[in-house]
Amino acid sequence: MSVATISQSRLPRWLNAVGPYVVAVVVSFAAAGVFIGLMGFNVLRAYETILFTSFRTPNGFIQTLLKFVPLTLQALAFTVPLAAGKFNIGGEGQLIVGGIAAAAVGIVFAGLPGILLLPLVLLASVVAGAIWAGIPGWLLYRFRISEILTTVLLNFVSFQLVNYVAVEIWPDPAAGHPTTVPIGMGGVLPLLIRRPPLHVGFFLAIVVAGLVYFYLTRTVTGYELVATGANPRAAHVYGIDVRKLSVLSLVIGGMLGGLSGGIEVAGLHHRLIEGFQSNYLTLGILTGLIAKGNSAAVPFVAFFLAVLEVGASALQRTMMIPGEMVIIVEALIVLFVLLSDVVRR
Amino acid sequence: MTTPLVRMQGIHKAFGDVIALQDVHFELMPGEIHGLLGGNGAGKTTLMNILYGLYAADAGDIFVRGQKVTIHSPRDALSHGIGMVHQHFLQVTPFTVAENILLGTLPKLGSTGHLGEATARIRELAHHFGLDVEPDARVEELPVGVRQRVEILKALYRGVKVLILDEPTTNLTPQEVDALFQSLRAMVDEGVSVVFITHKIREVMAVCDRVTVLRDGQNVFTVPKSEAKEEDLVRGMVGEQLDIAHSFLFAGRAANEDAHTFGDVMIDVRDLKVHADNETLAVRGCTFDVRAGEVFGIAGVAGNGQRELVEALMGIRPVAGGKVTLNGMEVKGGETTSLLAQGVAYIPEDRLEDGFLPLASVAHNLILGYHRQPPYARGWLLEWKVIFQEAWRLIKEYKIRTTGPDDLAANLSGGNIQRLMLARAFAHPMRILIAHNPTRGLDIPSTEFVYHKVMEQRNNGTAVLLVSEDLDELLLLSDRIGVLYRGEMVGILEREQFDKYRIGQMMAGTYKKQPTD
Ligand SMILES: Nc1ncnc2c1ncn2[C@@H]1O[C@H](COP(=O)(O)OP(=O)(O)O)[C@@H](O)[C@H]1O
Ligand SMILES: [Mg+2]
Repeated sequence: MSVATISQSRLPRWLNAVGPYVVAVVVSFAAAGVFIGLMGFNVLRAYETILFTSFRTPNGFIQTLLKFVPLTLQALAFTVPLAAGKFNIGGEGQLIVGGIAAAAVGIVFAGLPGILLLPLVLLASVVAGAIWAGIPGWLLYRFRISEILTTVLLNFVSFQLVNYVAVEIWPDPAAGHPTTVPIGMGGVLPLLIRRPPLHVGFFLAIVVAGLVYFYLTRTVTGYELVATGANPRAAHVYGIDVRKLSVLSLVIGGMLGGLSGGIEVAGLHHRLIEGFQSNYLTLGILTGLIAKGNSAAVPFVAFFLAVLEVGASALQRTMMIPGEMVIIVEALIVLFVLLSDVVRR
Repeated sequence: MTTPLVRMQGIHKAFGDVIALQDVHFELMPGEIHGLLGGNGAGKTTLMNILYGLYAADAGDIFVRGQKVTIHSPRDALSHGIGMVHQHFLQVTPFTVAENILLGTLPKLGSTGHLGEATARIRELAHHFGLDVEPDARVEELPVGVRQRVEILKALYRGVKVLILDEPTTNLTPQEVDALFQSLRAMVDEGVSVVFITHKIREVMAVCDRVTVLRDGQNVFTVPKSEAKEEDLVRGMVGEQLDIAHSFLFAGRAANEDAHTFGDVMIDVRDLKVHADNETLAVRGCTFDVRAGEVFGIAGVAGNGQRELVEALMGIRPVAGGKVTLNGMEVKGGETTSLLAQGVAYIPEDRLEDGFLPLASVAHNLILGYHRQPPYARGWLLEWKVIFQEAWRLIKEYKIRTTGPDDLAANLSGGNIQRLMLARAFAHPMRILIAHNPTRGLDIPSTEFVYHKVMEQRNNGTAVLLVSEDLDELLLLSDRIGVLYRGEMVGILEREQFDKYRIGQMMAGTYKKQPTD
């Protein structure tokens, strides 16, 4: 056994895992601080805004939890296929078609009672996401076309789709922006807190994250998925149908991506609004990368990034510092976390 | 006393935390064949790579003809007259032999004007040293043994005075080994000195003038052959930990075998045909069977269809023709999981590629292939408690050096990875064992361990198919040996008929079936 592994294993496990993150965060903030300072802003106030806006007011905290939901689901839509060695860059498209399906069901069956309509709305979003990721999955299985390409391309298709639905099929002419009419009241996610409003999507996201973790670590197919990602050739040699599992991983990713869209529609907007996907794909992938693909770490990282995101908008509002600064911080964190692995090798 | 041609002194070398060489001394006298003997991982290759300029030593000096030198690259080494033939050499296979030899010596790209002259010189060298090679042949059409001669000629053509050969007999037939030894003698007569790296004592005794034994990166001793006793060499290589009297490697298979009987046919292969990756036939009509309680060895130079044969038997690669029956079940392709569940154990050839999940835990690795069946799984859920208990047991029994079942498998060293493969294969009751090069890259105690495990299984009635590139290993363990040549089973010998040279002829495809056979 090498000396380094002995000394490393003497450190408590959690410290071993968390240490690099702390370093990465501190270094990234320091780097951003230099920029903010050079731009002539008050660095300490900027830090304070980024980190504490979420915790100063109830509104800030609720905003953070609301961002946490799509971030977590989008990150899982990325990390589950990644566990099988597949890159799902189509979380955005899956979110959009999930939202479209949720809106469509919510509008068409607007009269149904909540006990029927809400599950239907969410189910529709999951199925739509699964189909949207199943197409790249099928192309991969049948023709070995790279899923990276096809998932990205389908994002662009979904942009057209959302426009078509919001402008041609169920437009709300009063909105002044491509938007559909609202879904039936039965399709709306119940609120946990009334003012400021927080819907149950937060719990839903945590439960789903738990299910994903359970699936990957406790079930036989979850094991096969991880084995496929760890070494597809060895998995194949030992009787695992690697190609099927690659497709399955993408479909599961699509279901998660679709659900994130469904929750945005049913929980937040109650209708389909063009552009509702925000920058959740980028943030989801950043979350997945910072979590190093570990689905168990995703909710924690997602919460942290949600805090930064809420801080970012406050930064822009109150200090006139471009919010993109925060994206730079996040990207730097990814860089340093990944770098810390290289250094420790 | 004459000055040594090469002297290495106080050589240290570490790779990260692994200390490969520790204060190692080595001397090569003019006109000698110097054996460098040691088990896998002893540091032989590393020491000579330092002399050849591939690695820089962390400490220590090198003297050539008494002059202290620094060697930064193989180019430097060549300028001091030092050449090396590695175990895995790189050749430009679409080029001819002559072109490969000249590569890097031509003054200008494309200046092939002297090719004719050079070809004549190569032919002369080849003839002189008995290195039978046709300079105009294209390398891709040549068998491994001939390609190795090309590498030796390449060094000789550059006029080296010190020729380092790293385990040159791997993948040679016994005939080719004899021929190589004769060539080495011819070279020594011409004033070339040879460093002969090997882990086989017999080879040292056959060809070397002196021998230096390395163990765990340290000198054990250096003796002239005349004073070297085999027993001392064994001790030198393995140290005190090995029970030599009960060792398969050094004491052979136990003689009292009368009681042993073979059972039913467990592996039945009829006229099997299997495709290689490039859709050509790699196995072209193989017929043999393996009975319970029998070790059936498959000999052959690597690349004669062994891999495809084994993969077809395990259901990993589809059967293209003929019929394979394992334990009464017909195998056509895709049955791997149920074969494993029925007690067909498998040790794949390429452990890193074919059997190892670096990015998963040790426990994940230990259940691969068995993860769908009890006790590891109940229904669609994994039983982690049982898995961890089993994993701990296997880690202890197989001496896998790791922090525990949840350690990342990528942290394991090569020998430990092979132990993990063995633990996985041997952890379940088995009726058939299919092992492909199970001891490649293992040190002596681990090799010994594998031999004991294999023979224990055989004695308990398991049918063992042992595919190996190491003919000595096959001769040691097998009850019968089949020889694979270009995808065909060119002969099957009973243990009483074992004859290295006859097997060698079969491996080379030069054996003519006698009418009496
Ligand atoms: N390039 C390398 N990187 C890391 N470790 C190495 C490297 N080359 C050799 N080693 C280690 O050094 C030791 C000696 O290896 P080697 O010289 O190849 O032994 P031998 O040739 O006697 O089998 C082994 O423990 C091996 O794992
Ligand atoms: Mg070596």
